[in-house]
Amino acid sequence: MRRWIPAGLLIAVLALLPPLLPERHLATFVLLALAATVTVGVSLLMGYAGQVSLGQASFYAIGAYAAGLLAVHGVPPLLGLLAAPVIAAVAATLLGAPLLRLRGHHLAFATLAVQLILLSLLAQADWAGGAIGLQGIPRLSIGGFELRADLGYAYAAGSVLLIAVLIARNVIESRAGRGMRAAATSETAAAASGVAIGGYRLAVFALSAAFAGLAGGVYAFYLGYLAPGSFPVLLSIEFVVMAVVGGLGTIAGPLVGAGVIVLLVQLLNTLGTQPGMPGYAPAVLSYAVYAVILVVCVLYLPKGLVPAARSAAGKLRRGSA
Amino acid sequence: MTAVVETRDLTVRYAGATALDGVDLTVHDHEMVALIGANGAGKSTLVKALSGLLRPDSGTITVDGRLAQVPEGREMFGDLTVDDNLRLGGWRNGRGGRDTTAIYDLLPDLAGIRTRRAGALSGGQQQMVAIGRALMARPDVLVVDELSLGLAPLIVTTLVGHLRALNTGRGLAVLLIEQNARLALDLCDRAYVLEAGRIALHGRAADLARDPRVAAAYLGGHIEVTR
Amino acid sequence: MSDLIGYLVTGLGIGAGFALVASGLVAIYRVTRVVNFAQGAFAVLAAMLTASLLGAGVPHGLAELGGVTLGALTGLLVGAVAVGRPGTSPGTSLIVTLGLGVLAYAVEIVIWGDQPRSYPGVPGVAELAGARLQAHYLLIIAVTVPVFALMAWFFTRTDPGRALSACASNRYAAQVVGIDVRRMGLLAFTLGGALGGLAGVLTTPVQQVTFDSDVALIVNGFAAAVLGGLTRPVVALAGGLLLGVAQTLAAGYGGGAYQVEVALVLMLTVMIVQAARTGPVAETAR
Repeated sequence: MRRWIPAGLLIAVLALLPPLLPERHLATFVLLALAATVTVGVSLLMGYAGQVSLGQASFYAIGAYAAGLLAVHGVPPLLGLLAAPVIAAVAATLLGAPLLRLRGHHLAFATLAVQLILLSLLAQADWAGGAIGLQGIPRLSIGGFELRADLGYAYAAGSVLLIAVLIARNVIESRAGRGMRAAATSETAAAASGVAIGGYRLAVFALSAAFAGLAGGVYAFYLGYLAPGSFPVLLSIEFVVMAVVGGLGTIAGPLVGAGVIVLLVQLLNTLGTQPGMPGYAPAVLSYAVYAVILVVCVLYLPKGLVPAARSAAGKLRRGSA
Repeated sequence: MTAVVETRDLTVRYAGATALDGVDLTVHDHEMVALIGANGAGKSTLVKALSGLLRPDSGTITVDGRLAQVPEGREMFGDLTVDDNLRLGGWRNGRGGRDTTAIYDLLPDLAGIRTRRAGALSGGQQQMVAIGRALMARPDVLVVDELSLGLAPLIVTTLVGHLRALNTGRGLAVLLIEQNARLALDLCDRAYVLEAGRIALHGRAADLARDPRVAAAYLGGHIEVTR
Repeated sequence: MSDLIGYLVTGLGIGAGFALVASGLVAIYRVTRVVNFAQGAFAVLAAMLTASLLGAGVPHGLAELGGVTLGALTGLLVGAVAVGRPGTSPGTSLIVTLGLGVLAYAVEIVIWGDQPRSYPGVPGVAELAGARLQAHYLLIIAVTVPVFALMAWFFTRTDPGRALSACASNRYAAQVVGIDVRRMGLLAFTLGGALGGLAGVLTTPVQQVTFDSDVALIVNGFAAAVLGGLTRPVVALAGGLLLGVAQTLAAGYGGGAYQVEVALVLMLTVMIVQAARTGPVAETAR
């Protein structure tokens, strides 16, 4: 029973919060939920497969472009949205087969390279709108009901996040998940216990890409416009920051990490756009926040916020007992 | 006789386990002292603590003068030449103390290989370089960690000859950590036996060589295990 | 034919810039085992400062020296944060340098804004065997080659250089002989900063620089360095030149498109072939 409490809490927040939010904050909610969805995958990849991806925004872009292009060519939007994670996962599988032979910083640079290649190809692809971007993506419609207002997208993004969280939890609690955990800490130990590391690693890579692709699909319909510039390398780095700050290898970690960072950046953005602030203030403040939080976190809270908070709470409880 | 190295109640713990437990050990000047013990008895920990690479949890280490280490496994700078290896041995001396000429007089075998890559040398040659590198620090006491490990007997004899000459000719004190207990007890004046982080026995080397406990544990039918 | 020679020399000039970034990465990686993600930022900062100094009337040479010095100081600063704390693993340090690279964006925008910057280099057009190319490319090559020779001399013939090589070769033995490996790590970062700064200062006249130019620089630098396993400066030089020529040829004969892809696919291929040959290296990222 207890294991359903956090899930219930998440459902309650995702269901009850959006109508209470003022219209201008709904956009933040949508972007937060989408970022958290991608980060759940990144956290899974880093914490459970021990791999750093500096190119996760590629799969976000692939999902977004897949959904957008299908919809532009007359495929029903919902079908396009369903295709987005599948196409992203297939791309990840094809790319992962050779790339996942690499480890550590080699894999980090390889995933970064993949994203740069993708961005360059997209900028040159006239069929995808080129550098100018893909325009005229219809709004998402489900069963003839078209989502126009931000509230609808808040629910769409929330549902996508919930799906990612539930799948991630099942993966972590499965036998395969425990095997992967072992592989992340010690490859030799995992190999000795008969875990097929390579296969699991590829599966997690594909799954994390599917999460990113699904979030990207919602993003495409929400904005109605896509350009290569919407998916900079910095976006990939942001996902890594959120995962690391929240705490790898937990379900709550990516949610807390994405929440803390998106809200903080939003707050500073509001501050930076106050009258009298220089025009560059919002960008500078957000770069500074990402940088400082990341550096301070890896040096002083290497396990991330959620595990740190848990162990602090544990100490308190033991102290009072 | 004054002590060049003295430890008092030296204790080192790793992640909860005690590696050294109240070790009292003294090396006097001009003296050759052996430290024998099985694998995992704490010999390497003691060497690291003496060299200042590891901070003791309690107890004191006093070194009167300069201590240099010939590390286990020789630990060459494999990509660098023999001459550069020697030169770096004098790193602590500053610019003026890095002239390698004197070492080639002491260990003439090195003169012929001074420009060769240390990584490409034989084990015996590397051990010679390691001794030369330690001597570059102009030490008062030399800590030699596993002199004979993995080397042919003839080469060991040569190296032992050099150590003895340094000891008698230049008054260099030597602490020899050895798995080959017979070699160590033959060569040295005094000896310590380290067991599970404690000094189990110590005394004159000749006496220890006759001690039935030492004979049973370290000498009797003991076959040198190479790594 | 004259087209080809023009592309080749231009490519060598561009490649020399990559090689300098790569050599900075190598200098740092050898000693600290940290892949320094902020390497591109050194180049950007140095180029931006040089542009400002030149704009303020500081003569050529002095302005560039100012830029390289800023690169070196930034290198020292990044090193202090990334490897200054005892017990920081190389994987953690990599993420720290990633963060510091982003922090550099904030600093650069505050000081210099987000618009591309450039400044004139060697003016005019040179003629080489019938090929016409910007004369500045020749300067890049003419500076890079002696710099690599100087580095070879430094690493093998001077005591600080030997000590750096010693840390790279055997960290434990370096500690045994009394070398302070953490200080050597900082020295390596300073050197890497200067080399990155030099790359930025030299290439900006032919390739304008923006605050986020660092990504392209670091990726090309890594691609060049990875050929030599990130530890061999001379292979990094060869890798950089090869990469530069490959890109210019792709751009020249491919009509300007796909030059980014050529370099990146080359890098991925090299890494995958290396991994297939040596087997997966067990290094954890964090």
